[in-house]
Amino acid sequence: MYRDFGTVFFAVIMGIVMVSIPLIISWLIAPSNKTKDKLDTYECGEEAEGSAWLQFNIRFYIIALIFLIFDVEVVFLFPWAVVFKEMGLIALIEMGIFLLILCAGLAYVWVKSDLEWVRRRIKYGGGRYKPLSASSED
Amino acid sequence: MTNLQSLEFFIPELILTITILAALITDLFVKKSKTNMIGWVLGVGLVVVGLSVHNLSSAPPTTLFLDMIVIDPFSSFMKIVIILSTLLVIVASWVNDELEKYRKGEYFTIMGIMVMGLFLMTSSVDIIMLYISIEVVSIMSFVLAAYLKLDTRSNEAGLKYVIYGAFSSGVMLFGLSIVYGLAGSTNYFAIQDTLSSLDGSANPALIMALLMIFAGFGYKISSVPFHFWTPDVYEGSPSTITAYLSVAPKAAGFAMIIRFFHQVFSDSIGLTSNSIGSTDLPWPEIIGVLAVVTMTMGNLVAIQQKSIKRMLAYSSIAHAGYMMLALPVLSMEAVESIMIYLFIYVFMNLGAFFIVIFVKNKTGGESFEDFEGLGWKMPIVGAFMTLFMLSLTGLPPTAGFVGKLYIFKTLVGAGSEFLWLVIAGGVNSVISLYYYFHVVKVMFLGGKRSDVITYPPSTMFGLMIFTAVPSLILGLYWNPLASWVKDSLVFYNQVM
Amino acid sequence: MIESPMITFPLLILFLPLISFVILIFFGKKLPRQGDWVAVGSIVTTFILAVYLFVQMLTSYDANFSHGASLSWIDMGAFKIDLGILVDNLTIVMLLIVTLVSSCTHIFSLEYMKGDVRYNRYYAYLGLFTFSMNGIVLADNLISMYMSWELVGVSSYLLIGHWFEKDSAANASKKAFLTNRVGDIGFFIGIMLLYSAVGAFTFAPIFDSISGGEAIAGMTLTLAGLGIFMGAVGKSSQFPLHIWLPDAMEGPTPVSALMHAATMVAAGVYMCVRLFPIFTADALTVIAYIGAITAILAALTAITQNDIKKVLAYSTVSQLGFMVLAVGTGVYTAAFFHLLTHAMFKANLFYCSGSVIHSMHHALHEAHDHDTDPQDMRNMGGFREKMPITYYSMLISTLAIAGVPLFSGFLSKDAILAGTLAFAQQNPVHFLLPLLGFSAAAITAFYMFRLIFMTFHGKPNMKNIFKDIHESPKEMTGPIVLLGALSFFIFYTLPSNFNPIKDKGWFKDLIVPRNSAVPGSLTANEIAEYAHYAHYLAMGLSLFVAAAGILLAVLMYQRQSISSEKLSNKFGFLYHWSYNKFYFDENYNRYLYQPFLRLANSISWLDWEFYDKYFINGFGKLTKSFSKISGKFDYDGIDQGLVDGFGRVSSVSGNFLRNIQTGRLQNYLLFVVAGILVIIIAQAF
Repeated sequence: MYRDFGTVFFAVIMGIVMVSIPLIISWLIAPSNKTKDKLDTYECGEEAEGSAWLQFNIRFYIIALIFLIFDVEVVFLFPWAVVFKEMGLIALIEMGIFLLILCAGLAYVWVKSDLEWVRRRIKYGGGRYKPLSASSED
Repeated sequence: MTNLQSLEFFIPELILTITILAALITDLFVKKSKTNMIGWVLGVGLVVVGLSVHNLSSAPPTTLFLDMIVIDPFSSFMKIVIILSTLLVIVASWVNDELEKYRKGEYFTIMGIMVMGLFLMTSSVDIIMLYISIEVVSIMSFVLAAYLKLDTRSNEAGLKYVIYGAFSSGVMLFGLSIVYGLAGSTNYFAIQDTLSSLDGSANPALIMALLMIFAGFGYKISSVPFHFWTPDVYEGSPSTITAYLSVAPKAAGFAMIIRFFHQVFSDSIGLTSNSIGSTDLPWPEIIGVLAVVTMTMGNLVAIQQKSIKRMLAYSSIAHAGYMMLALPVLSMEAVESIMIYLFIYVFMNLGAFFIVIFVKNKTGGESFEDFEGLGWKMPIVGAFMTLFMLSLTGLPPTAGFVGKLYIFKTLVGAGSEFLWLVIAGGVNSVISLYYYFHVVKVMFLGGKRSDVITYPPSTMFGLMIFTAVPSLILGLYWNPLASWVKDSLVFYNQVM
Repeated sequence: MIESPMITFPLLILFLPLISFVILIFFGKKLPRQGDWVAVGSIVTTFILAVYLFVQMLTSYDANFSHGASLSWIDMGAFKIDLGILVDNLTIVMLLIVTLVSSCTHIFSLEYMKGDVRYNRYYAYLGLFTFSMNGIVLADNLISMYMSWELVGVSSYLLIGHWFEKDSAANASKKAFLTNRVGDIGFFIGIMLLYSAVGAFTFAPIFDSISGGEAIAGMTLTLAGLGIFMGAVGKSSQFPLHIWLPDAMEGPTPVSALMHAATMVAAGVYMCVRLFPIFTADALTVIAYIGAITAILAALTAITQNDIKKVLAYSTVSQLGFMVLAVGTGVYTAAFFHLLTHAMFKANLFYCSGSVIHSMHHALHEAHDHDTDPQDMRNMGGFREKMPITYYSMLISTLAIAGVPLFSGFLSKDAILAGTLAFAQQNPVHFLLPLLGFSAAAITAFYMFRLIFMTFHGKPNMKNIFKDIHESPKEMTGPIVLLGALSFFIFYTLPSNFNPIKDKGWFKDLIVPRNSAVPGSLTANEIAEYAHYAHYLAMGLSLFVAAAGILLAVLMYQRQSISSEKLSNKFGFLYHWSYNKFYFDENYNRYLYQPFLRLANSISWLDWEFYDKYFINGFGKLTKSFSKISGKFDYDGIDQGLVDGFGRVSSVSGNFLRNIQTGRLQNYLLFVVAGILVIIIAQAF
């Protein structure tokens, strides 16, 4: 049975070959005219500025995470809305519990002031995000 | 069983979820100095969970949520072991000075989520569920290991753990995908059904897959060669978390291994007969070699350690090796001996770690020098530590002896082909004597004798009593434990 | 499982003293009065509970009265040990003895041990002893009996050595402990022989399979029985292990009364009675001879001793010899009866001697005399008027031990001698047994009255202290009066079931002999019948010998019409043998200890010079260097060398991984992969 993996292997080989062939063809026949703009990173038409290897503010991630959670909530809500009539009360209770749990999460990030971009209560550089060396207070 | 019907048997986990939410919300309303209260919330919740687990342990074994997880006496036993160790660690966290600088709300909450993952680990019968539960436990462990935000070593431990964990679960996922490819199903019972009908030609793929899966399992129970994270993470983490990681995930990991391998390789009668696991794979030999290497490595490197916490980390690797000794036998007796060992190990290992925490609170260090003269300064603590060391070595009349006795009895009873494991185990016990008694020697012969005798604070003393009493009593009268384990040796099994 | 008071009360009796021990040993110093009230309270409670059990036994009046409960201690498939208790008539009577004498000892010690440096420890050890003694009594299996047996040995060691500052006390405790070990090894071998044949430790299955005759029989069974009897030889101080008991008198006198007269030394006899069904005829013959030899040797030794406690000690050994003799001749209920009566009168004799010593001690203290031995009878004399209660109580007990009618000892000794006589009538080869028995009885009467006359009659030998001799306080006279009263026959022949019409006593009705489990042995009925025939002859003879012994004592020590000195000169050789205790200690020392010590020395030299220096140290070094190499290998070889090697290879091929990971973690992961590969390759072969 594990010989069936041969098919998979064949598919992988074929994939590589099929992708490489057009690339090779275009590399062979396309004209090569390298200007600075053409070699630059493509960023939606904007001109790239500086290196991409820089530290991003940690709050981007937190915001992204929070966004993700509520995004997924919507993903669940759509199919629920479709079958809601068939399932009736139980579906309502289930979704209620689900939303309540999400609300707890919302309350949590709210109280921990992760929803505010500019922190008022927690001084930037102090408190939760104090640097590892406890001495620096700048 | 359908999802709604399953809920009735899922009550412990539901209560646990409510507890976790309650802990999370309580944390929003209390001041930093009062965050021990969240430990109370979680502790009380866990006691209720324990009661409901106990309540369900007599229910007939069945699968829940469309064959995702099972409830059976075996998982109930493991859940109770997990709850016991979590409760002990919660109490220890109240008095661990390392955590004084931080809010402990999230700490306790995350611990609760980890218990949830551990519960699922013990009872999953589907490789998807298996993977998810391992990840829940792992991610929570990463956070807990790095909980000392101001301590670079803790941060380092967390980061190493993350990467190592990601790598291991990656390898395991690869193995699982091969198994899925062979069997065409993610369900254990279906996999078992398919595998038993395979001819030998699939063996190479199967062995590859199993070894890769074992990389994931071995990482959880820290077996060689998947143990490298253990010393670094154990040393860097808060001591309470080190103690916790050395028992609870290990117990769940063993539950998971036993369930997976015994379920997948069982014959059609399943786990009810005395001899299970008819397979022509060299599985017993592989696990046997790994077990011997694990305990030998753990013991030999432990001898060289200067820090007692790190020594205990290596010692916990060695103990994983002892428990693994029984795995190759693939019989109910072997499972019984592992369960007995695990239960005993929880108490003796946690006890030793609690004393390390206590000494660190007192002296600020955890090396052998910090233990010098402890037996004279605090005779009670010295006596308890001696008891734990005796028990970890496995000398009568302590509980550790009974654990080893059952493991060796299983091996001797299983036939002469396992005799080399007995010999290796015996030699290793002798080697471990060296470093365990080094602690005793340092406590009683090292340092200056002091005339002033001090006593540990009452919470710490209570913890020591609570771990020391079972470590001793179970060495003298273990029949209730043995019969409880015997009663818990019922696996849910389903013949396709 | 535990429902009736017939189970819970014995358990309470068992564990209350243990609780008292734990409290006193840990917190005794902090409690008011050093916690003696805890010990006394717990022990008196156990006594009351024992009395309740006794009353239950009398009212139910059933010879087969029996309760039991057991707990599975170890259950590992084929290997099973159940710990349990067995409560029958025998047990209840024995519990009553133990708790009664123990209570008396506790109360007596309140005064006797007042102001002792280790007062709380003394009471703690008494609790430990009572616990372990009750453990022996209640055991329904050999394992828990053996454990309690050893605990009794330990508590005896601790109590004999209570005044361990005195070298003689420390040595005596060591001697007692080691001598007992010799017997206990035999006991353990016996247990293991039985277990290997029968596969059980509990009495009932052992008896069953012996009577089945297949599992174990003949020589093996005889050996097992003799092995178990060796335990009794050690504990009950029988020839040739009797040497420890006289030395054990170094302990406090109440301890001597409790352990070395009434209970601990009786444990051996109790065990023989309990296990009587396993002894084969051959084993019983050996037992009978050992008992007879002990009885006569100890009695002969007692004649010439001058230390009041030593006389009592040898008398105890001699009386224990009587009991063992009775076991050996098959009348083991008589042995138990004698155990009962002896416990009462001998404990009393010890209390009385304690009272005398206590008063001597005080008197000597008043006279600032610290050299005179307060226990030497040659320093006493004429105490009768000064200590009337002690005197009369002691006299009653002496009459009992001498076997004078109307006193308890007469009944029990008579039963033993009748049994012995009957045994010899059946087997004329063993004519020596009754001969030795009756001689020992005569000598007993003689030396006990010698003791009475030397202590209480005649003129005071030390006039300077005589004025300070006075009666002891109430805590001490109370037990003396109580136990003195219990030396009368009436308590043992009380009409049974409170029904005056029955002519037998409760003891005879309730403690009935059982048949031996060994196939082909005489049944209990046969033995009883033979003994009944011999009864009148035995009674006449024992009356005669008692009278002869007392008369001789009166002539020699009261009237002094026969000079003891002349007599001892005349039989100088015998006198010296008796005075020097038949040179047992000297011979043991020369022929056993010294060669053994030499052997041990040479072995230890070998052990140290060769085994330790080369083998053990060498092995240690080997392990150490191996672990060092292995540790080095793990760190240098694998972490630094192999893994870094991999790392260097990878750092050449691609730098980008190094920027996001530390070197070591990367190494770990690589090693995991290497490990999996190694296993995959290895398993292929």
